[in-house]
Amino acid sequence: MKDGRSVSMPPGLPAAWAAVTAALVSPVAPPAAPDETISDALALLCEQGLGQYVEGWLLETLQVRLTTDVAPEFWAGLEHLDGDSQERDRARALLDAFRTLFLRLEPFLGGLEQLGSWQNEGRGGLVGPGAHGLRERAFSVIRAILLFSPSPVLQQRVLEFYSRTFSVHMRQVREGLEGEEGPEEADGECVCPGCAALPQLCWCKEALEQLQELSHILSRLQLLERVSSEAVTSILHRLIEQRMEQRCRGEYESSFLADFNDWLEQVLGWLSRVFASEVGETGTRSVPADSKPDQPGGAILQRWRCHMHQFFCRIYVNMRIEELFSIIRDFPESIPAIEDLKFCLERTNQRQQLLTSLKSAFETRLLHPGVHTSDIITVYISAIKALRELDPSMVILQVACQPIRKYLRTREDTVRQIVGSLTGDAEGCSDLANELSRADPVTLETQDSEDEGSDPDEWTPDPTDALTDKMGSKRRSSDIISLLVSIYGSKEIFIDEYKTVLADRLLHQLNYNTAREIRNVELLKLRFGESHMHYCEVMLKDVADSRRINSNIREEEARLPAEEQPPIPLSAMILSSEFWPQLKEEKMELPAVISKAMEAYTHRFEKLKAMRTLSWKPHLGSVTLDVELEDRTLSNLSVSPIHAAIILHFQDKSTWTLEELSGALGVSQELVRRKLALWQQHGVVQEEAGGRYSILETASSRERPERAVMLIDSDEEGDSNTTTQSEQREEKLQLFWAYIQAMLTNLESMTLERIHSMLRMFVATGPGVTEMDVNELQAFLQKKVRDHQLIVSAGVYRLPKSSQ
Amino acid sequence: MKVKIKQWNGVASWLWVANDENCGICRAPFNGCCPDCKVPGDDCPLVWGQCSHCFHMHCILKWLNSQQVQQQCPMCRQEWKFKEGDTS
Repeated sequence: MKDGRSVSMPPGLPAAWAAVTAALVSPVAPPAAPDETISDALALLCEQGLGQYVEGWLLETLQVRLTTDVAPEFWAGLEHLDGDSQERDRARALLDAFRTLFLRLEPFLGGLEQLGSWQNEGRGGLVGPGAHGLRERAFSVIRAILLFSPSPVLQQRVLEFYSRTFSVHMRQVREGLEGEEGPEEADGECVCPGCAALPQLCWCKEALEQLQELSHILSRLQLLERVSSEAVTSILHRLIEQRMEQRCRGEYESSFLADFNDWLEQVLGWLSRVFASEVGETGTRSVPADSKPDQPGGAILQRWRCHMHQFFCRIYVNMRIEELFSIIRDFPESIPAIEDLKFCLERTNQRQQLLTSLKSAFETRLLHPGVHTSDIITVYISAIKALRELDPSMVILQVACQPIRKYLRTREDTVRQIVGSLTGDAEGCSDLANELSRADPVTLETQDSEDEGSDPDEWTPDPTDALTDKMGSKRRSSDIISLLVSIYGSKEIFIDEYKTVLADRLLHQLNYNTAREIRNVELLKLRFGESHMHYCEVMLKDVADSRRINSNIREEEARLPAEEQPPIPLSAMILSSEFWPQLKEEKMELPAVISKAMEAYTHRFEKLKAMRTLSWKPHLGSVTLDVELEDRTLSNLSVSPIHAAIILHFQDKSTWTLEELSGALGVSQELVRRKLALWQQHGVVQEEAGGRYSILETASSRERPERAVMLIDSDEEGDSNTTTQSEQREEKLQLFWAYIQAMLTNLESMTLERIHSMLRMFVATGPGVTEMDVNELQAFLQKKVRDHQLIVSAGVYRLPKSSQ
Repeated sequence: MKVKIKQWNGVASWLWVANDENCGICRAPFNGCCPDCKVPGDDCPLVWGQCSHCFHMHCILKWLNSQQVQQQCPMCRQEWKFKEGDTS
């Protein structure tokens, strides 16, 4: 270019060009020619309009040099070591490569400075982007050419080197903190924990010096961010992950935030080494005014700190999300983990992930037939407690526990379990009983009503993942009992169930001691409101009244002459039938002695309470008796009335057949046989050939079976005195039968789905049909088919001809 | 063999000896209580008129109070008179 021009050139121009270019690229720092010469030469060049080419020429030269010599040399220097070289050598090679690179480029950098300063001064009329602009352009050229397609070796080497310096740094910090010896130094291998070399070969110090030099070179070439960011990021990520795995996994009982913060600060110490020179330069050059002097990290370190923090939070949340089920199960021991998670979760956007994962954890680990209902309820309670810590807006609780609630709805014994643990008689599940007796119960009544008590300033909008339901946040309760009660959508079901449980218990214990039940009823009244617990109160009052009546009657009897004393001491539990749950109706004839005693009792009651009489439930109650045999006595047996009746019959006649007994008692033979099992177990009655049962007067006549303490025939379905839930359900379904019959009479034949949807339409108001699914209806209809009240063919139900 | 019964705890429910199931005024069962009461039995007794109709005491008293001119049994329109000795 310059040769072509020189033909028509004014004299001195080539010389001036040569002087200027020599000054710019001469490897020696001091200018080759005196200042005035250069100035003159520049002036001359500018006069001829060549001033602008100086800059272009310099960058061009740099580019050419880079592509032809410098870059290949750099890569060769980096790669000349083979795979099995020493790490230390590789570190050295890395540094050397960069050193050479810097050495090669330094003249150009000097020239650039020179030209820049000329331009800044405007010496000889020279104009241009100035030092700063030139530098920017030169460095872009360097970055572009050198790192356009960097060999993976570079990244690999840098990563290795940085990891090494990191562990060296951490060792120094640790030593600084703990004194001299780390635990690794104690073992036999005796390698330096920093550089993993034998102590005599330790190159920790060297490594740190190398790091410093490398950082310096890189920052001079403005390559620091480009070369090290990736390596530093991956090192940090790996280390945080590693540390988290070691320290936190499975460990929920202590908080790791503070610990990790300390550690992150130590790591930042290393980062400040990596970015030391950069920091120094930026501190003096580009942002001198607003970099805070007390923060050594400056802007770059600050950025890294944020980055690390963010990353820490994300990894932590990821790990805890995986473990959330166990954390919930371990609540309240796991509170520290929950709090950590809460802190981190607020900083990452992972609520959705948490919800999905928790939901599926519940589904796979909890909600299957192998888990006992009480366990599900226990976990649910823990989840309520844990999640309301985690997310005070209760959205996570509401969404994540949806599957549990849905599942619990399908378990038949849910209500009974909850009621049982509410009143504290289910073992191991005392949470609910405690919750019930908590000082400040949230009444279910007030919760439904508008509640404007909260400060409008403290209102926060619902998180975006909240379910959009009409109830809104007001109804998102965290009260355990109301949550459990609302599983079924109405408290009536619960109260009904409680009534049944209470009735059962009162009828079973029959000792008129109701202190605990009264307390429970009072507590429940606080929650469910007086009116709902009214029936239970009447039940408890009946117990108290019965006790009074009994003692009245007892007194009266005591005044009678000895021969008129009743043969058996009879007391009664007198119920107000309208207020008790429906009791199982069973007919049974009691032996004459007993029925006479009952008549006498009734008679006295009638005298006591005018115009009222008693209707006995012969099958209910309990009897304490002694059985005296020839060679032994069974004393203080506590049995049911039917057992007592059976054994009383044996008193009159020592051998009975089932048929005879069934006739005498007025119950089915099957029942008699089952009840006889108890006496057989006690060794009082034995079965003989021909289905006869007789008394075993002497124990020696037959090997007595092992006597268990109190064996009630176990196959007896439903020990309960009250009708069970499924029986009640059956009754409800029976209600629909009238509808179904009417439908089938009018429409002749219908499919199952049709019947179901029609029922839904007609009986939409009651809770019964909305909870009834097609399967249940099908089972019900099948039963009707078996009873010949319905005919099914080709999936269509119709009424039998006769009933139409 | 001899069976000695030490204690027999029976279960029974009480009921009014009345000729109807429900109170003719409030239509609630006699064995329950009138709409104003919470506890049945002693606290919400029945009364019989000489016409042999019976009601919850609270129900018939309310009814009688509302009759300005003549006090009649709401069932048979005879003059209402309490049957002797029943309110004891």
